[in-house]
Amino acid sequence: MLKGYLCLVLHGHLPFVRHPEHENFLEEDWLYEAITETYVPLISVFEGLVSDGIDFRITMTLSPTLISMLSDSLLQERYLKHINKLIELSQKEMERTKWQEPFRRLAEMYFIKFSHSRDTFQKYNNNLVYAFKKFQDLGKLEIITCGATHGFFPLMDVCRDSVRAQVKVAADHYESVFGRRPRGIWLPECGFCPGHDEILREAGIRYFFTDSHGLLHGTPRPKYGVFAPVYCKGTGVAAFGRDLESSKQVWSSIEGYPGDYNYREFYRDIGFDLEFDYIKPYIHPDGVRINTGIKYYRITGTGNHKEPYVAEWARDRAAEHAGNFMFNRQKQANYLNDLMGKPPIIVSPYDAELFGHWWYEGPMWLDFLFRKVACDQNEIRMITPSEYLGENPRNQVITPSFSSWGYKGYSEMWLQGTNDWIYRHLHVASERMSELVRNYPGAQGLLRRALNQSLRELLLAQSSDWGFILGTGTHTSYAVRRTKDHLLRFNRIYEDIKSNSINENWLSDIEYKDNLFPNIDYQVHQ
Amino acid sequence: MARNGFMKRGDNPPFLLEGGGLMKMLKKLKEKLKKIVPAKLASLKTKKKKGPVKKTTACPPKDIPSFQETIAVNTKFSHPEDTRPRSTMPQELPSCYNQDKIVLQVRDPRWLHTYWELRNQTVEGLKSKLGDEFHRAKKILRVYDVTNIIFNGSNANSFFDIQYNDFATSWYIDTAGPGRSWCVDLGLMLTDGRFITILRSNVVSTPLDSPSWITDEEWMIPDDVFARLYGMGFGLGKSSPVGRGWQQRLKQGLFSSGISSSPVRKAVKERSFWMKVDCELIVYGATEPDAQVTVQGQPIKLRPDGTFTLRYYLPDSKQVIPVKAVSADQIDERTITPIVTRETR
Repeated sequence: MLKGYLCLVLHGHLPFVRHPEHENFLEEDWLYEAITETYVPLISVFEGLVSDGIDFRITMTLSPTLISMLSDSLLQERYLKHINKLIELSQKEMERTKWQEPFRRLAEMYFIKFSHSRDTFQKYNNNLVYAFKKFQDLGKLEIITCGATHGFFPLMDVCRDSVRAQVKVAADHYESVFGRRPRGIWLPECGFCPGHDEILREAGIRYFFTDSHGLLHGTPRPKYGVFAPVYCKGTGVAAFGRDLESSKQVWSSIEGYPGDYNYREFYRDIGFDLEFDYIKPYIHPDGVRINTGIKYYRITGTGNHKEPYVAEWARDRAAEHAGNFMFNRQKQANYLNDLMGKPPIIVSPYDAELFGHWWYEGPMWLDFLFRKVACDQNEIRMITPSEYLGENPRNQVITPSFSSWGYKGYSEMWLQGTNDWIYRHLHVASERMSELVRNYPGAQGLLRRALNQSLRELLLAQSSDWGFILGTGTHTSYAVRRTKDHLLRFNRIYEDIKSNSINENWLSDIEYKDNLFPNIDYQVHQ
Repeated sequence: MARNGFMKRGDNPPFLLEGGGLMKMLKKLKEKLKKIVPAKLASLKTKKKKGPVKKTTACPPKDIPSFQETIAVNTKFSHPEDTRPRSTMPQELPSCYNQDKIVLQVRDPRWLHTYWELRNQTVEGLKSKLGDEFHRAKKILRVYDVTNIIFNGSNANSFFDIQYNDFATSWYIDTAGPGRSWCVDLGLMLTDGRFITILRSNVVSTPLDSPSWITDEEWMIPDDVFARLYGMGFGLGKSSPVGRGWQQRLKQGLFSSGISSSPVRKAVKERSFWMKVDCELIVYGATEPDAQVTVQGQPIKLRPDGTFTLRYYLPDSKQVIPVKAVSADQIDERTITPIVTRETR
């Protein structure tokens, strides 16, 4: 008998990193690693479930920047180059470890994995967005959108025109890719400010998510806590609250599943471990050692001594952990059902890149979980937010609280001594963008191109990823550079437009570099 | 002075800088100064708080490229420092935008952040109008509690002052007031105790840090049931007291770790000094380019010039490595067998 719903949400996002001006660009590896380690493994899980006739539901953000990169032909070519090199390296490794049996088997495991990754990538015409779309069209996956470039909305609250642009550009982009409007949105960093629901409503978005305290500290008190969505007062946009108990099991660095000693150790990579001349062709051309993705050890224990990974043991643990997760949701749903007198919805959102990239066995764990939920019990049912709202249209009306899922729950991660300097520049740029929209309505030709590019540059400067990296205080130079470059480009376009001296060559160059959102309309920034 | 984009909820400061308003204001103040009526303002009850926690300078911190990074630390997505040459565009953002503006933002239920910019001519204007009084005046941020009111400059629920130094252009403000609305004036406190507003910020509201006391009649729920749902929402099990949910939440972390760090635990370094030694074996040779070569019985590929290189991890063991070449016409054959022993002590 149905006791409750489980709503799994994976937030897939990477900042827009694309540098055609450089042959090799390290930060582009973020995308390539995520394709091999997260996106392809997830797609393979979905494929397996569909071919085995297992019904499942999952909700996933594909951020507009991620979609743009996955659809970009330059990055697609570069990914193939990247994965081919990895395949070559894994072949060399199979030979090198010939006298070291556990490692030879692992090298073979990576060879198979990388080859499969390339095959899957090519099967979908080098564009994995089509793969995700396929599962959305099958009704198994609900793809939601995000801020256009993952700007952190609460710190744009003084210039809501920019929040509106982030939402509208994202929703329009989604429609051009998936052929329908997005029903839901993952607010970047889960950052919600009361009032932004109005902007979501304008864009036709029906729901979003908040961290637990977004609902729990809302006004008036939410009757069912985070275990039922609420409608925002005045707009009727639904807000779903994050359940922390289920988050903790997966996410916690202390008690979470990913820390199991049989799971793969992330921090031992042959890019760092092997002899320099041998590994040199597979690391950065400048000789900077980087992760290759080939990692031979299991976590083993708390110390530095590591034992070789044993795939079968890890697989057994993933199955056990999936069973444990399901059991705990059943218990939770039963308890909440008694308390609430109706089936709760347990919303468990995670960063997609946790699965596979950080937690190597994550996709396998998901696979086991889907299969167990479908076959081994009937108390919990997986559901998407749209389905839930369709079946449960009557919900309480409250004003959720300002909140985020960042460090300490609000804005501090993006607003501290190391990154607060960016806002005076970002806010002026927003203000100037609104001024341009007011002063140049309905522009055409070169002027229109300049105006559209100015919005692209502004959006790119707003990515919360830069502020986040600055906030962590390590390896910040790329984030500083990106923030400044986009703002400098924006400022130049602004001056050029105002002085009626747009330099077409220069404009073409940055259109070529920052080529996302080809159909952008600058007039959404108002 | 396009500040409108930064003003929220229709709070239009009545006597701010729109179209020469500042000059008018200064004139009035000068007249007032002559009359000297300090008593009224000085007697206003002020709540002083220690606000200064951090100051920043007008210019963004210079980013100094590091050339020491030869090894990228293991982060999800590694970021070695970038030393590539840049285009000819200006590299630095302007240090100011020639605006008179103060912006207020919420950091969390308790803290606000404000930054501001004053045009030189505004400062010069003040100096010339106020004369010596300008230099004697204290630079003040006046923080108004404007919860549930339409603020007109004089009807705040309460306010407190923070003195800032000449170089500050931003400030973190401790309001200690979750669930309240705030507005900040940047101004001068004259020696006679009067306060002159130079800039007024937008209005912001801090969120609650505990459940709302407002309950919804239509959706009433007994307190004890809510207490349980509240604790459970934070993953605290079935019996956590309502008031402490958020504090517990903060303790257990579980915040998104973003793109550059891992939620997965990193092994602790036992001690900083370390060494590791390993051995690999390179077997190399050459024969006719069209010969067939096997090593330990396995066929290998020759380079176009007939050379070959094989590289093996060498464990503690004795390895017998017969390398056999057979000519393309199957007539000639050579076998050479290196024997290698590794022993680690």
